[in-house]
Amino acid sequence: MRLLLIEDDEEAAHFILKGLRESGYTVDHAADGRDGLFRATETDYDVIITDRMLPHLDGLTIVQLLRQQGRTTPVLVLSALGTVDDRVKGLRAGGDDYLTKPFAFAELLARVEALLRRKSGPQATTVLRVADLELDLLGRRATRGGKELDLTAREFTLLEYLVRRAGQVVTRTMLLEGVWDLQFDPQTNLVDVHISRLRQAVDKGFEKPLIHTVRGAGYVVRGD
Amino acid sequence: MEAETRAPTHFGSPLRTSAFRLALAYCALFTIGVSVLLGTIYLLTETALSNEVDHVIGIELDALADEYDREGLAGVTAELTRLNETWGRARAIYLLVDRRLQKLAGNIEKWPFGSEVPRSTWFEFTVESGRESGMEFHPVRARMLTLPEGYLLVGTEVSQRRVFQDRFRAATLWGIGGTALLGALMGFWLSQRLLARVRTVSGECERILAGDLSRRLPVSGASDEFDSLASAVNRVLARLDRQTGVLRATFDSAAHDLRGPLFRLRGRLEELIRDPATAEEARAALDRALQDIDSLQRTLAVLLQIAHAESGAPLAESAPVALGDLASEICALYEPAARDQGLTLECDVEPAGVIGNRQLLTQLLVNLIENGLRHVGRGGAIRVTVRNVGRTARLEVADNGPGIPPEDRERALRPFVQLSTKSPGGSGLGLSLVAAIARLHHARLALEDNAPGLRVVVEFESR
Repeated sequence: MRLLLIEDDEEAAHFILKGLRESGYTVDHAADGRDGLFRATETDYDVIITDRMLPHLDGLTIVQLLRQQGRTTPVLVLSALGTVDDRVKGLRAGGDDYLTKPFAFAELLARVEALLRRKSGPQATTVLRVADLELDLLGRRATRGGKELDLTAREFTLLEYLVRRAGQVVTRTMLLEGVWDLQFDPQTNLVDVHISRLRQAVDKGFEKPLIHTVRGAGYVVRGD
Repeated sequence: MEAETRAPTHFGSPLRTSAFRLALAYCALFTIGVSVLLGTIYLLTETALSNEVDHVIGIELDALADEYDREGLAGVTAELTRLNETWGRARAIYLLVDRRLQKLAGNIEKWPFGSEVPRSTWFEFTVESGRESGMEFHPVRARMLTLPEGYLLVGTEVSQRRVFQDRFRAATLWGIGGTALLGALMGFWLSQRLLARVRTVSGECERILAGDLSRRLPVSGASDEFDSLASAVNRVLARLDRQTGVLRATFDSAAHDLRGPLFRLRGRLEELIRDPATAEEARAALDRALQDIDSLQRTLAVLLQIAHAESGAPLAESAPVALGDLASEICALYEPAARDQGLTLECDVEPAGVIGNRQLLTQLLVNLIENGLRHVGRGGAIRVTVRNVGRTARLEVADNGPGIPPEDRERALRPFVQLSTKSPGGSGLGLSLVAAIARLHHARLALEDNAPGLRVVVEFESR
């Protein structure tokens, strides 16, 4: 897996590069927009992470130019501009995800992983399985060990989001965005409350829990 | 701060104002009008007077010609003598001469044309009259009748007409001059008056520019064009004033509210450096430091949203939003959290559409519900309703918590005002962001008494 980071802030770049390399990725670094665009066109990266405000060429222009060249490499835009409008602009320019600075590294890692998964393409499937948990996407029903789970529609959506990313860390912010379409972090620990309810329905009474908490990052659904 | 281009609005003399120029133009036009009028009157009067003189002379000459036909030369002589001795026509001139131009009768001494006999019948000449002080010349208009034995001259001394002409001319000139002068004075006065008002306005503007946004332009109450301009500018100022006020308060209190967590953060880190702890203690301290950063970040994000909303920029990403559906979704999102806190969160909505920014409306609902969650104690209830009322969609979030006393309600909408110190956790930005979002959607926001508790009402223009 080869990633490209375009970031002019040296210290920020250092900490992102270090974290990503420790997580096992090969990461190239470009310190300005022109170099970033050059590298992005030369090499076939799996994910590009770009800052929005860069010397010479800003991040959104890089995304637009790449898209004009027909490149579909997933792009994660990092920005200090955090209002809803900025986010909409970032996604409209062709970015696949938008992360506002400052962010926790775990948040960045989770999103990079999500983009890498997305690259492998969505499975055209109607049934999702993790261990003995089975989700019928057409009937919107979930069973575990053959026993039907009692879920509300929203709980099913939440479970589906997690199961689609089974084995992959999903952050609270990702859940708020992906499940409830909330583009800001509320003050209440909403996600934890909903996850604990989901656990009641999915894991209670079973020996092996499927929904795990990842400290300082979020949640992961794992079968083994 | 950008360098303020201080182009002081200085005004030159009133003579250079557009009002004065306009007045001058009117004045010139008026003067021309007056001249034409007076000129016409002069010409008409003059003609009428001349005609009258000629008419009188004609009649008299005819009468004398009749006399001649009846009595001959002697009759005319006698008549002239009689006319001369009695109070005849005023300013009449008579002269009868023989063929050799010697005077036979009349009231002037000698034939005025020397030894010649004029060919025309009408003519004008001057006669001299000896006075002690010197000679006087009198203009005379006369007609001549040729008789077999001589010539008869009947005329009128027209010096009065000359005087009339002179006076009329003088009057005309004075009139025109006066008109011009009056017009100029009027123009000067008008431009002075306009200039005074413009000076007041621009002086007031200078003071406002200097930073006192609370000043307003004077409105005279005359409801004239200056007043409507001034009140339009005043409306702009009021809006600017309010916006800068909100922004200033936001940033003032932001500085205050961000310093708290920053200070705690700094303290924790310094302690870690000074006093190396066990790995576990260090980890716990760093964890808390990260939480401080998260809280700072949230405060900052909300501040940015408020600043954005208050900047008065038109609503971005406006689209029809099903307010009822949105409200029940957010209720469903918060219901478990409320239940965990021992509260009930009820939602009762009608389908109602509004035009707006979905994310901002979501944030509005979230802030209102979180506000309730923070302030309502265990066992309390929060009720969210959406109703169509007339042409508006009415959103209500009501609780049975402590409520807000009426005198504090307006203050509660300002940033960073935490009315109660009992329930920490809020940044104090919640309701002010609600206010900013409501304003951005041109919605009416009211905090009401739910007896007991607080009821927040937001009325949107219905789609």
